[in-house]
Formats: sequence, C-alpha cells, structure tokens
Amino acid sequence: MENNNILKNLYLKQFNQSNAIAYSKEFIASPSDYNFQLLDNAYRNAGKVYAKIKIAIETNKCESEHCTMELAQIKQLEEAPQVSLDFLSSLIGELSVTEESSFDPNNNYAYTVANSLMTSKPGFSKTDGYNAYLDLLEDGSQQIFFTGPAFEKDLIINSAALSALLNSDTSLVAATPDINNDMLRLLTEVNLFDPNMIGENKQLKATARISEEFILKNSDGSFDYEIVDLGNGKGRNMLQFDMTKIEKKVTPFINAEVAGLMSSEQDTIAAWNVYISKGTSVDEDAQMAQDANAGSSSWSYEKDLPLQQEKKVLFETKYKEYFMNNYLKQFTTNQMPTVKEDAAVFDLAEAKKAKAQKFLDDNNLN
Amino acid sequence: MIGLGAALIGGGLSIAGGIFGAGAAGKRARDAAKDRRRLNNKLNTLENSRQEIINPYKDLSSMISNPFSNLSVATGAAEIQIEQADIALANTLDTLRSTGASAGGATALAQAALKSKKGVAAGIEQQEKNNEDKRAAGEKQKQDALMREGQRVQQGEAWEFAQREQRQMQELDRTAALLGAARQAEAQAASDRTGAITGAIGAVGNIASSYYGAK
Repeated sequence: MENNNILKNLYLKQFNQSNAIAYSKEFIASPSDYNFQLLDNAYRNAGKVYAKIKIAIETNKCESEHCTMELAQIKQLEEAPQVSLDFLSSLIGELSVTEESSFDPNNNYAYTVANSLMTSKPGFSKTDGYNAYLDLLEDGSQQIFFTGPAFEKDLIINSAALSALLNSDTSLVAATPDINNDMLRLLTEVNLFDPNMIGENKQLKATARISEEFILKNSDGSFDYEIVDLGNGKGRNMLQFDMTKIEKKVTPFINAEVAGLMSSEQDTIAAWNVYISKGTSVDEDAQMAQDANAGSSSWSYEKDLPLQQEKKVLFETKYKEYFMNNYLKQFTTNQMPTVKEDAAVFDLAEAKKAKAQKFLDDNNLN
Repeated sequence: MIGLGAALIGGGLSIAGGIFGAGAAGKRARDAAKDRRRLNNKLNTLENSRQEIINPYKDLSSMISNPFSNLSVATGAAEIQIEQADIALANTLDTLRSTGASAGGATALAQAALKSKKGVAAGIEQQEKNNEDKRAAGEKQKQDALMREGQRVQQGEAWEFAQREQRQMQELDRTAALLGAARQAEAQAASDRTGAITGAIGAVGNIASSYYGAK
C-alpha cells in the first residue's frame, strides 16, 4: 500500500511538472470545466432554509419552545459564510504543502489530487471526471467532498476536524523541514568556526575554515600534516583535524537541533523519509525521489506516530551522520596548510625521510 | 489562479482572492508557530545540556587540620633507659655482694639509679611541653586558615552567582530575541490572514444577503 501511495504521489508530481498534457491533442480539443462553484452550491438551498426558519420565528410558528432550536439554526446559518472562508482557506494552505519541492511522497496521495483539483491543474476538471462539494452540516460544521478518477475512494474532510487538528499543532499534510537550510545554519552554531567566518546572510563565508584549536599539532606546536601523494614523486601537506574533539564539540548542538525538530513528529518523519534515512546528500535525495527509491526505509505516518524512543535515537544518530558527512566533511578534508611555506609541493621521499627523522628526534630514538 | 479560483469556489473574484490569500497567510502563520516551538525546544535542550559552573573557590575547610593535634610522647626510649638503669644497678649490686663491698657503696649506687630515673621523667615532661606548644601553634594556624577559607568561599559563591546570572541572562536574551522574531512573524501572518479574510467579508456579506434574501 505504502509503495503504491509513493508511486502515485511521484506520478502526480511528475505529471504536474512535466507539461506533457500540453501535447495531448484530446485535452487541447476538449473544454475543461473547473466550475465547481463550491460556495454557490453549498448555499443554494441555505437561502430557502433561512427564509423558512426566519418566517417561522417571526410568525411564532416554531417547532421548539421559545424558538430555541430555530434561533440556534439562524445563528448557525449566519455564521456559516465565515466558517466556509476559514475552512477553505485553511484547507488550501494545508494542501499547498503537496506542491513543495521536498514534499514527502509518503503523505496520502489523495491530498495531492485534492490540491490539483483545488488549484485547477490541467487534467483535474469536471470534464476529466472530478468534482468537489461543500456541505453545510446540521451541527454547524461543514465538509468538503472530493471525487474523481484518481481517488481510490472519495475524500471527505470536515471543517471542525481540520480546525481541531490545526489548533493542536498537527498538520493534515506533513511538511518536510528545509534540512539544507537547517544544516547550513547549524554549521555556524556549533562553535567550530570563528564568528568572523560567518557572513551577513548568517551562513559561512566561502573562505571559512575550522578554528585552529581543532587542527592536530605536534608537541612543538607545529602542524601535524598528512602527506598526500600527488604522483611523480611529489607530495603536499594537508591539515589533519582532531575529529574526536570536533565530534565532542558539535554533539550537544546537534542534539538540541534534533530536539527542536522533534517538536513536530510529523516533520521528523518527513525529514527522515526525504533526507536522513539513506544518509545521502541533498542532490542525491532529489534524484532518489525521482526514482521512487525513498520508500524502502521510510517511516509511515499512520503506523509510526507517535515515534518510539528507539526511532528517535536512530533519527538523532543518522541526523548527526548526515551533518558530519554532507556538511562538515568538506571543511575537514583536503584542507591546505595555513602556513604559506608548508603549502608548497615538495619531494615526497625527502619529506617522508624528514618526518621519520623528526619522530626519532622527538622520541630520543637516535 | 484567482480567476480559476472564482469558478472553483464560486461567489466571485474577491472571495476567491480572499480565500487563497488567507490560505497562504494561514500557512505562513502555522510555519512561524512551528518555528517558535522548535526554537523553544532547542533552547531548552541547550539549557539542560550545558556544563555545570564549577566554583574555583569551593569550600576546602574540611581538608584543614592541625598537624600537631595528635603528637605522642616518645616514652619507649625512656622506658628502655629506665630498664637499662635498673639492670645496671642490679649487676653492680651483685658485683658488690661477691666482692664484699660496703653497704654505703650500694646506697650510693641506688641513689645514682634514682637520679637517672628522675632525669628520664624530666625528659618526658619537656617533650610533653614541647608538644603542647606545637599543638597550640598548630591550632592557631588552623583557625587562621579556616578564616581565610571562609572568606575565599564567600568570594567564590559571589563569583558563581555572577557567572550563572550572566549566562542565564545571555540565554534569556537570546531566547527572547528568537521567540520575539517568531512571534512577530506569526502575528504578521495572522494579520495578513485577517486582512485577506476581511477583504472577502464584504463580498461574503453580499452573497449572504443574496442567499438569505429574507434577512
């Protein structure tokens, strides 16, 4: 089921982005009717009902004592347009998540279809077999009803239910956090870089380097370089970093970031499904979503909420790996010496000999 | 979009525009609220995971003691000296007896032995006096050190309080700034939503009037 859901979501995404429908002669030749008229249809009979109740009250022919029920119905009808506005605007806001570039295809695909219909996308008109109705219910709430070929079964959403969800900080459709942006910001917060390495846009400057205290040094204070073989007997020094110290430094900040993220478990699942689970890079994730491979290790919104402790721990571990591998690694690998003389290309054999001699000298082994 | 929205929603362009505008603003408000919750959790975690402030002036008074408080008198050597004097006296008396010496010689010897024992007792007394002097001096040193430690601990507590206050103020300032920004974004988005809805209200009023013509 989940895999089928992912495939449908990805198909809809590709269909809406592909422009392919512009080349469908059948589509071009036929009229597309998006005249769903949600409000007009919803309130068509409401006018008659309103008038009937109003007359009953004014002529004292109410069914209930002191017209209690009738007065309540009138109040409900008078408030109904505002409820409709709030309901439809909230729904449109929620469904718009399905159009975000990092949308998790593990969300129910029916919302993607409903959004296509609400935003009048080609292929989702009345002519194509779709329809939507807004109903005013007796309890004062309202419901919207979507139907059409892409729905496995009709999608019904109640205004009171949606309102309760949103008031309890729960979304109808889980939005994927902007992990790329979060991690670029996190880089500036983990105290590995001097404040002057951070630009006005609150991100690291292109020339940013990790602070010297995290670079490995010899006992005499000189840098403990790694000698890299460039071929043809030549070599070059590269800085080595104290990864244990770095990891110890960044861990509390990463844990705090994850704790913040987990204020919404829906978002945590979305981040896991789209970015973190595979431990790949952002570019690869984009490719993966296209290939529909994201689902194999994904978590289900229906089955995995609330998140179990072991999943939270796993998320924290993988989040840290993702940060270390995709964002921090570029600052700890192939870093040229900061001392100009040490940055020159040199004869490899001589350098290795000199390094061995230094070791002997330092340890009184001569 | 709004033109199509009008057909979709019904009721005219201004209602559709209002609904779509309010939808977007409502989404921004919820995103800002989400940010606020995230920042709150993050700051709480940072606050809970920060290192304890270590007071470099912590109370060390329990380690201060008088090193001379339990000095013992070296009576072992005195006991041996007395014993040796007794043995020497007994041996000399035996010799005197075997050689037929006078009783006066024995008395002189016994007096010499007694004198030796008195000397030993006087040595012990002197040792005890020396020890008492050292104990008193040690006690004074201890009291002085305790007094200095007490003053140092007071300074430390003041330092610790100042450090904690400074750190808490920094974090409170930061929290307030972040939360302020998130709240502002949330309020702005909510205001946008209200504006969009208000724009649609007039049209809704018209629609409601037409629907509820009898009103």
